[in-house]
Amino acid sequence: MSLSPKERLLDTLGKKKVDRPPVVCTGGMMNAAIVDVMNRTGHTLPEGHFRSDLMAELATDVNHDTGFENFGIPFCMTVEAEVLGSEIDFGTLACEPKIAREPFVSNAQVQFRDIDRMLDSGRIGQVAEAALLLSRSNPDVPVIGSITGPVSTAASIVDPMIFLKELHKKREDSHRVLDYVSDFLISFARLLVDGGASAICIGDPTATGEILGPRLFQEYAVTYLNKVIDGIHATGVPVLVHICGEMKAVKPSIPQLHSDAISTDAFVNLKLLKEEYPQLTTMGNLSTFLLELGEPDKVSRHTAGLVRDGIDIISPACGLSTASSIRNIQAMTQTVKDGGRGW
Amino acid sequence: MGQIDNELFKRLSDAVVDMDEDEAIAAANEVVERGIDAYQAIEKGLSAGMERAGQFFDEEEYFIPELLMCSDAMYAGMDVLKPHLRSDGAAEKHKVVIGVVEGDTHDIGKNLVKIMLETSGFDVTDLGRDIPPARFVETAKEIGANIIALSTLMTTTMDGMGAVVRQLSEEGIRDRFKVIVGGGPISQGFADRIGADGYAVNAADAIRLARALVAPAEAAA
Repeated sequence: MSLSPKERLLDTLGKKKVDRPPVVCTGGMMNAAIVDVMNRTGHTLPEGHFRSDLMAELATDVNHDTGFENFGIPFCMTVEAEVLGSEIDFGTLACEPKIAREPFVSNAQVQFRDIDRMLDSGRIGQVAEAALLLSRSNPDVPVIGSITGPVSTAASIVDPMIFLKELHKKREDSHRVLDYVSDFLISFARLLVDGGASAICIGDPTATGEILGPRLFQEYAVTYLNKVIDGIHATGVPVLVHICGEMKAVKPSIPQLHSDAISTDAFVNLKLLKEEYPQLTTMGNLSTFLLELGEPDKVSRHTAGLVRDGIDIISPACGLSTASSIRNIQAMTQTVKDGGRGW
Repeated sequence: MGQIDNELFKRLSDAVVDMDEDEAIAAANEVVERGIDAYQAIEKGLSAGMERAGQFFDEEEYFIPELLMCSDAMYAGMDVLKPHLRSDGAAEKHKVVIGVVEGDTHDIGKNLVKIMLETSGFDVTDLGRDIPPARFVETAKEIGANIIALSTLMTTTMDGMGAVVRQLSEEGIRDRFKVIVGGGPISQGFADRIGADGYAVNAADAIRLARALVAPAEAAA
């Protein structure tokens, strides 16, 4: 009997043998709500960022049109920062929401608010409700709840230039802010799990080797990613982590992450990473440029290459362009479902 | 030039590399007290230090937080020395308009390039983030810029870079400015496609590119 998409993903993350890799797009940083899908269905952004029913409908449309074997919500990386006090520009149909202004000019100034009260504010409840709607309507399809990682969330509430310097200059303040942010992220993720999320994906684009370098990555990113991962693991669901950018400078830190899978950017050779660290479950990493600008047969060939290399979960390498075509994404998902035979 | 001058320049340079704002200020004050030429102190002390810091960045010894702290030390020393610059001392600087294109608010990369350009002697007008194409063009015309520098981290906003080049062409002023682009999703191929004059992979590379682009103009003049 063939596995359901949820079983396949969870078995893969549990290091069990499966018939073929799952092909997913997690939402959040890797939002798959592309313009083509929204224009066809009329379930559009930015409205879908605010309402659980629309969010669930759009996630269902994406699953249906693209062939990705999951629901991925929310469609942005600003849910956390909004609740923590940042001003958000909610963007347009084609342009994702972004931080318009960080409320704090220094880590020392961050006001620590009551986490339970924050969970009642902003769009937190809508995202959790969308998870519930999706998990009930399609129990065989995994809901992946996406959250923004601790370093990126902290750099979304404190002016990022100052934040980065204070990682050196004001270590105590920095650790206090990251600890607070991590506690909040754990609570948010737990709400998503309560709503029925089968897995949580953490995207932390500020926590890269290129930006932080190996020392700060180890001191802050590894510490607080692991704190958040451990907090989510306590609820019994697996955690995926996406690391942006070139990984060379921080590679030795990667196996120290407690996550159940590691997703990387396109220029990381996942096959080599797997050879070096066979214990890792790898996820990725089809070029998002190829998905936006390439042709379906080339997309299929590259996807087949990833399957052949034994990548455990096939997924876009980073944030998808909202201008990517359905045809290209279908070429990717269909190739995986056909057992990795390229066109 | 005396030994004391050189020692002070070295202290300034080291203060920048060591990310030590207080030391940069102390050394700069000593330069002023001793009546040493402020322009030389900036060039041979602070800028030289920033250049070394940039080299460490290139070699992956320093990363973005370290480079930002070096630049804080540099600016701290600069604030002390600037009032003592003789206005005829410095040559006319090349002008750069820099900003993050519309739709994107990620500006760490842009800020780094700006800092490195300033320390390399460029006069930089920073428009900030989320900037529509027309504003780059207007500002470049207004200040008589040599270079327009465009940054983005998001694939969704890359087209704004092409729009700047197109607008320059439509207005018939494309050859008055050099357009350089950079940021996570940008590549040399992309720069070529939109008709930009250059692409830089990081801040240190951006300085080399900017210098190379203004150099022929100098030779011709």
